[in-house]
Amino acid sequence: MTGPADVSLPEPMPRDGGTPLSVPQDLQGDHAGFASRFIAFVVDCVLSIAVFELVLAASSFAASVLTGTSIHWNKGDLWVVLAFFAWEFVYYAYSWTASGKTPGMALLGVQVVGQDGSQVGTKRGLVRTLAFPLSFLLLGLGFLGILLGRDRRALHDVIADTAVVYAWDAREARLRSLARERSVRRPESPPVIGPHS
Amino acid sequence: MDPGERLRHSASRRFAEQIESMAQAVAQRVIDLVVESLDVNALLARIDLNALLARVDLNQVLGQVDLNQVLGQVDLDELMARVDINEIAGRIDIEALVKNTDLGALLASSSSTILTEAADLGRSHAVSMDDTIARWVSRLRRNHTGRPGPPELPNAQEKP
Repeated sequence: MTGPADVSLPEPMPRDGGTPLSVPQDLQGDHAGFASRFIAFVVDCVLSIAVFELVLAASSFAASVLTGTSIHWNKGDLWVVLAFFAWEFVYYAYSWTASGKTPGMALLGVQVVGQDGSQVGTKRGLVRTLAFPLSFLLLGLGFLGILLGRDRRALHDVIADTAVVYAWDAREARLRSLARERSVRRPESPPVIGPHS
Repeated sequence: MDPGERLRHSASRRFAEQIESMAQAVAQRVIDLVVESLDVNALLARIDLNALLARVDLNQVLGQVDLNQVLGQVDLDELMARVDINEIAGRIDIEALVKNTDLGALLASSSSTILTEAADLGRSHAVSMDDTIARWVSRLRRNHTGRPGPPELPNAQEKP
């Protein structure tokens, strides 16, 4: 990074006085690293499974109300498994084709874009969703590209001609952090001591 | 009018014009001489500007100025075209501005929620972890590929 933004300032401290918020000045458009992508994936897993379980429980409750008999879905049932995979496909495909990011990715501030930086689009989004399981099926070797590749692209990224980049405004976050520090450290006005106090 | 009187009139008018032009030339010359001999700096030094300004009612002066009309005569487009906003913005140390002014508190109160703070912190840590992992991998790769082998024996090809 170059330019005036590189002026080194003391790192701002968060409100609780813990570890400093070390935010790079400008990382928008840089290829996202393994940790950000992995955490985003974990968040997506938790979220999508929770929603699926919720829908399953709601449908079970609705069915029991309508039919009068208690229905318990066995997670080993083929159709439940198929429904789960269909739901996961919809979750990722819709997220990537619509905005380039799943809720987990939005939380971590990363986004899927075309290799040329363009929007993902429907075709690439769908291809990426279909190729995504491949990276798992190859014993996780499909993800090695994130660690070893110059562009940090996984196998499904290469197949779909996509890349994952940081999309959050680190500079804005740093300014917010500085602002918080200012508001926390702002000295209070000393009490006025009058003749009758 | 008899011819004699007409002649007198004409002569007196010509004489008056000559006298008038001569007087003008003399006056002009006198003014030039006075101005040349005048020490303007010395004159200004003797003027008490503060006293002079104290007698000026600035409010009244400003009241007579039609600012709208003045602004109406300014070509803002041309003015803005001559201003390099990027250069000006580049000179502003926004971080210092936020850090040292109440603008920071304003920003904090207006745009910062607990969720935003948590997200900023989480993203920041994730980026730090990204960098750490990238450094580890880079170090491992360098060790793996860049480890120097045993020194080549001299004349190894020649020995059986």
